[in-house]
Order: sequence, then structure tokens, then C-alpha cells
Amino acid sequence: MNGFLLLCRPRALALKNSILRGGKKGRRRSLIMAFLGLLLCGGIFYLSCRVLLHFQTISGLGDLLARLLLSMMLLSFFSLLIFSNVISALSNLYLSKDLELIHASPAMIEDVFISRAIQTVMDSSWMLAVFGVPVFMAYSYVYRPGPLFYVTLAHLSLTLVIIAAGAGIIVTMILVHIFPAQRARDFVALLGIVMGIGIYLLFRFMKPERLVNPDTFFTVAQYLNSLNAPRSPYLPTQWVADSLWMCLKGEQARGFLHEAVLAWSTAGAAVVINIWLASFLYFEGFSKSQEAKKRRNGAGVLLEIPAKAAARIFGPQAGALAAKEIRMFFRDNTQWSQLLLLGALVAVYLYNFSVLPIDMSPIRVDFFQNQLCFLNLALAGLVLSAVSARFVFPAVSSEGEAYWIIKSSPLKTRRFLWAKFLIYVIPLLILGEILIIATNRLMDAAPLMKVLTTATMIFMIMGITSMGVGLGAVYPDFRHQNIAQVATGFGGMTYMIVSALFVTVTVVLEAGPVYILFMAGVKNITVTGLQWLFIAASFSTVAALTALAIHLPMRMGERALESRE
Amino acid sequence: MAMIELIGLTKIYKGFKAVDGINLTVERGVLFGFLGPNGAGKTTTIKMMAGVLKPTGGMIRMNGLDIAREPEAVKQFVGFIPDRPFIHEKLTAREFLNFVADLYRMERGRARDEQILRLLELFELAGWADELIESYSHGMKQRLVMCSALITEPKILVVDEPMVGLDPRGARLVKTIFRGLVERGVTIFMSTHSLAVAEELCGRIAIIQSGRIISNGTSAELRSKAGTDGNLEKAFLLLTEGGEEPNERFFAPLQA
Repeated sequence: MNGFLLLCRPRALALKNSILRGGKKGRRRSLIMAFLGLLLCGGIFYLSCRVLLHFQTISGLGDLLARLLLSMMLLSFFSLLIFSNVISALSNLYLSKDLELIHASPAMIEDVFISRAIQTVMDSSWMLAVFGVPVFMAYSYVYRPGPLFYVTLAHLSLTLVIIAAGAGIIVTMILVHIFPAQRARDFVALLGIVMGIGIYLLFRFMKPERLVNPDTFFTVAQYLNSLNAPRSPYLPTQWVADSLWMCLKGEQARGFLHEAVLAWSTAGAAVVINIWLASFLYFEGFSKSQEAKKRRNGAGVLLEIPAKAAARIFGPQAGALAAKEIRMFFRDNTQWSQLLLLGALVAVYLYNFSVLPIDMSPIRVDFFQNQLCFLNLALAGLVLSAVSARFVFPAVSSEGEAYWIIKSSPLKTRRFLWAKFLIYVIPLLILGEILIIATNRLMDAAPLMKVLTTATMIFMIMGITSMGVGLGAVYPDFRHQNIAQVATGFGGMTYMIVSALFVTVTVVLEAGPVYILFMAGVKNITVTGLQWLFIAASFSTVAALTALAIHLPMRMGERALESRE
Repeated sequence: MAMIELIGLTKIYKGFKAVDGINLTVERGVLFGFLGPNGAGKTTTIKMMAGVLKPTGGMIRMNGLDIAREPEAVKQFVGFIPDRPFIHEKLTAREFLNFVADLYRMERGRARDEQILRLLELFELAGWADELIESYSHGMKQRLVMCSALITEPKILVVDEPMVGLDPRGARLVKTIFRGLVERGVTIFMSTHSLAVAEELCGRIAIIQSGRIISNGTSAELRSKAGTDGNLEKAFLLLTEGGEEPNERFFAPLQA
């Protein structure tokens, strides 16, 4: 027993030290992160309350919908937990750098496994607290249950966490047994993305917006049929959902013990089965994961075409960086596979516009269409900010511990950052203009709107990319284990906020002039001199804001990188 | 002719003086050994010379140019080999060397391709030229980093612990190459923990302790200053620790 507690101690001490010895800067960051976390929880709570209260207004169906939502939500959490456990278990049980030391010590394999499994559960389950608790609290706000609801929620959630971790760790052990851990990680990442895309597309093409309006269905039976959430007496989430529902409706005694016994006995079995399987699977898998990577040829004609073209277009230094970036991106399965996700995002984005019920608009159709095209600018800007947070913000950090090569070379920091800017601004421009031009075509936008939105998008992308590269240089993480996690820290969060603000302010500044010009066109009236002055002032402000958004972050990034110790 | 001049070079990390006003001059075509115990300030000094770290005070002049004023011009003729070979694992050796050559603005073409191949053959990596670096061993990565430092034909080579991770064959190869470079007028500034290597290769040696140069001269001069006829190891221990054998301290309580 003491063995695995001892093995958990370094992690606990590291956490304590990072809190107590983080210094002023660390504390400030923690406070901001806590504030943002609370804000997110508050937002989820508010939205969940709105949805549940809306359900209550649909006579005869409110409780049914709320109960279905509870089951579906628990099932989603459970699936996400299993997947998240697979990812965490891979790094905690097989890829962590300190494992060599631990396995060389006289610690029992069973203790090593249990300690790492506990850390895996901790790493994976925080999201249930952040995203789950506000939703459950919304249920408690709407249904006002007794104290037993909270007790049930606490202990049954724990069983869900244990069962999901058990399943996730077993999957990981089997995967590593089949593939080496290094490849298993790539495989799981790819699988996750494909699964994510599948669920996303499936959900979107099911047209969930129809459910908000039951009048569109002929009968209640048809409506209920379209809500067919998976129900099975063998699903642990169903036991938890049923118990919680009973508590919410005040039927606490009936069946309560039965579900609790089922959930706890399954959780116990998951723990026992895991320890038993680990006794003959874990060490063998760990040993496999220590083996060197297979000799892998770098050749690839398809990859060489863009890499060599980029090298030629951008010139020697920036071209070298561009070619390197292209090769590294497409050779890393965890990186290029995210393009699939991006493709699905674009498809659904455009699909959403194609199914908009424009004919139901209470205002003039052409006015409504053009209004949507203008608002699309903000939406596309925000989408591009998010994409940029994932790909552009980590651009500087992607040099990793090999950054010394740049630093010791005669390449100026400023040139290095502008080269990164050039490398990323082109694909973002293509993506941004696809979103704008395709939507404008779908909405049949007026020529003025087409020109304005297309041009503004170019300005926006320049600013978004520059802020991504610049702030990425202000908050670099050259020691990251996983490049995807670079954007999830304080710097990434700051970038998202600043970038979203930039997009919003740009759109707000252009709204007035667009309205004046568009109305002048529709009503066939002349724009007054004062109005022209206002229009010129607004567009000049947008140009100045963009120039600032391009220049300032790059300057800050340059200074930060040059003074970096 | 002085190729490297460190004048009052200082580095302070959050109040801790890692390098404390050191002064050193290294002439052209000299292999200069930089020795010192762990944490003495060797790597910090070397990183400042390579332009990777910014000094808190003092000056570094390479071939007469101030690195603070003309960093790019200095880096153009300085090659750097760090102690740990962190390189882009998803590139092949050939791609990595081409990348470095481009950073140093070396003209593309047949001559460069041949130079890359020649270096890969010299460091026995030609058979792995088109394999991803992620499949290399530590020693192979170390040899590749050396190729990258030599591809630009530097006038000055700044090297941190070159022998770590190399097998005896690799170590012998590196020694031969360093000797050849020095004969051709290249100045090498090398930190090492291997006193045998320092004694065998270095024309001049400086010892740094707690951020200060405590001794500077030829191997014979250092021995004479330490007052020993023994090897460089004995002299080093006398100069840095007062000559007490670590074993004596370790075993004394056990024997009591």
C-alpha cells in the first residue's frame, strides 16, 4: 500500500511546488486561469438552465427531454473520459521520462501500475468537474432536489470515473501490446480525430435544430422517435442517469440501492481486472515502448513538391524554415491529421449556411442575406482565431529544444518571426477566403458586400496571424511534450481573447459604414458628405488597428525572444 | 592574432553570478580547453559565445567583431556544437544539413550537395542520410550536429562537451578532425570533463570555478602552478578542490 503512495509523491510535490513557488507571475497566471475557468463554468450553468427551463415550457415533453438530455450528456462524458484516459495512460504508463528511473528501482510493478493509474485518473477526470458540475447544478437549480441528489451525484460520478479509467487503461495496455507505445500514440490520436469528425458530422447532419421546434413533426411519436438516445440496462451511464433522475423527481428510495450496488461492483471489478491484466501485460508493453524507433525513410515525392516550392519562393532563410515546417508537419501523424478536422469544420460551416431558413425571415430577404454575409465576417474571424490558436500560436514553440539552431545561426530574430508569419499567413488566407467567398455565393451577396468582406478578411488574417506568431514568441514553450498543448496554456488563452477582440472591434467599426452604403444602394439615395467622412474615418481606423495588430505583437515577440535566458 | 576575446564577461541569473567577469584571449589556430567542475559556468560562457545567451555585462569579441553589436556577422563564421544534440527529429540528416546551410546563406548547388555528402561520409552517417533523425542513436545525433557546425566552414568552433555519447571510434574521429581543423587555422574553444582529452588535444587550457578563471596556461603551466608532476587530473583536483581524494571523504566515516 505504501509503495504506490510513495510513487505518487513526486507528482504531489511537483504540484505543491508549482503552487507555492510559482512566484508572483505564477500566482497571477493561476488566478487568471481560475477566473476564466469560473467564467466558463458560469456560462455552462447559465446555458444549461436556459435549455432546461425552455424544455419545461413544452407541455408534456419537458421532463422527457430533460431526462434524455441527462442520459445523452452522461454517455458523452463517459465516452470522452474513456478516450481521455487512453491518451493519459499512454503517457503516464509508457512514455513518461521518469519511468526509466522508477522501473530501475526495486518498486513492485503492481505499485508502479497503481500509482500511474491513479495519476491517469487525475489527469483525465478534471474535465468532468469543469464541464459536468455546472450542468448537474443547473438540473438541481431547475428541479430543486433533496440533499440525497448531491450524495448520489458525488459517489456515482466517482464510479463512472473509475469505470471509464478502467476501460481506457485496458484499451491502452492492449494497444501497446499490439503496437509499440510511440506508434500507439499516433494511432490513438488519429483514431480520436476520425471519431471526433464522425460524431461531429453525424450530429450536424441529423439536423438537431429541428428538435427545438416540435411543430415541424406530424406526431408526438415521430418526434420521440427522432430523439432515440441509446438506452441499455448494461450501460453504467444509464444506472447513474436513472438514479439521478429519481433523486431529481423526489423518488429517492425506489431502486436507488440497486443502481448504487451495480455501479460500485462494476467499478470494483474494473480495478481488479486492471490490476490482474497489468500483472502480465504492463511490463512487457513498457519494455516494448523503450525500443528505438524503427528506421524510417524520409522520402516522399508528394511532400517534396510543396517543400521545394516553398524553399524557392521564400528565398534561402525563410524558404529553409518553410520547407522544414512543411516536412515536419506532414511527417507527424498527430499534426497533419488535424487537417481532416479542419476539413469537416469547413464542410459543416458551409452546410449551416446552405440550410438557413432565409425564406422565414421577418425582414426583406436581400437585406437579411447581406446582413448575414457581414456577420459571417465576425464568425469566420472567430473560427480563424481558433484555428490560428492551434496552428499559428505554437509556430515559434514548434522549434522545441532545437531552437538553439536558430539562435546560434546568423538569422535575425525579426526575420525568423516574419518567416513564420509568411509560412502561416498563406494557408490561413486560403481558408479564410474560402469561408467568405463560398458563403457570399450561398447567400447571393451584393457586389459591395462581396468586395468589402473579401478585403476585410485579408486585413483580419494578417492581424490574426501576426498576433499568433508574435504572442507565441512572447509565451513560447520550447520544452513541450505535445505541440497541441502549447495553445492550452496562459499564452494561448491570452491570444484567443486578444484575437477575438480584434475581430469584434473590426466588425463593429465597419458596421456603420456598411449600413450607410448598403441602404444607399437599396433605397437609391446619395451618401452625404458627412456620411462619407464617417465612412472614411471608420475604414481608416480599421486600417490603423490592423497595422497595430500586425506590428505590435511581432515587436513584442522579437523583444521577448531576444531577452530570453 | 586574437580570434576570441572575452572581456569582463559576466552573467547573472536572478541574483546568482554564474559567470563573474572573466577575461580570456584565444589566438588563431589554437584548440583551447575550458575546464571546470559541474556548475562552474562553462556552458553559460559557451552559450554566450555562441550568441544563444545574452551576457549581463562585459564583451565578447570574435575575430575583432563585438557579438553584441554585430551578432549576425559573428555567427556567420562561428560554428556551435551544444552538449545535447536537440535537433528536428522529423527531418532526415540531408534535409537538416540543407536547412542549416540555408540559414547560413550558403549557395545552393552541386558544390553544397557534395560538401554535405563529404561530411556525412566523414562522420560515417552517409548510409543514414535519408532516414528520419528520430531513428538515430544519441551518438549519431551528436555526430550530425558536428556535421552541421562544420558545413559552414567556420573560422571559430565553440564546442560544449563533444565526447559525450560518442563511442571510442567516434571519439577518435572527432579528435582527428579537431586536430586537422586547428592545423588549417580554425580556432576551437572546447569545454570538456575529459581531462585526458584536454591534455591530449588542447594547446592552452583555462579552468573556471564559481564563475571565475582560476588558472590559464598550457598543460605544463597548470601542473607547475598546482605544484605537481602528475597528470592534468591531479593538477585539476589540486587547483579546484585542494587535492583531497573524494574516496577518502566517502570512506572515512565507514572505516570509523
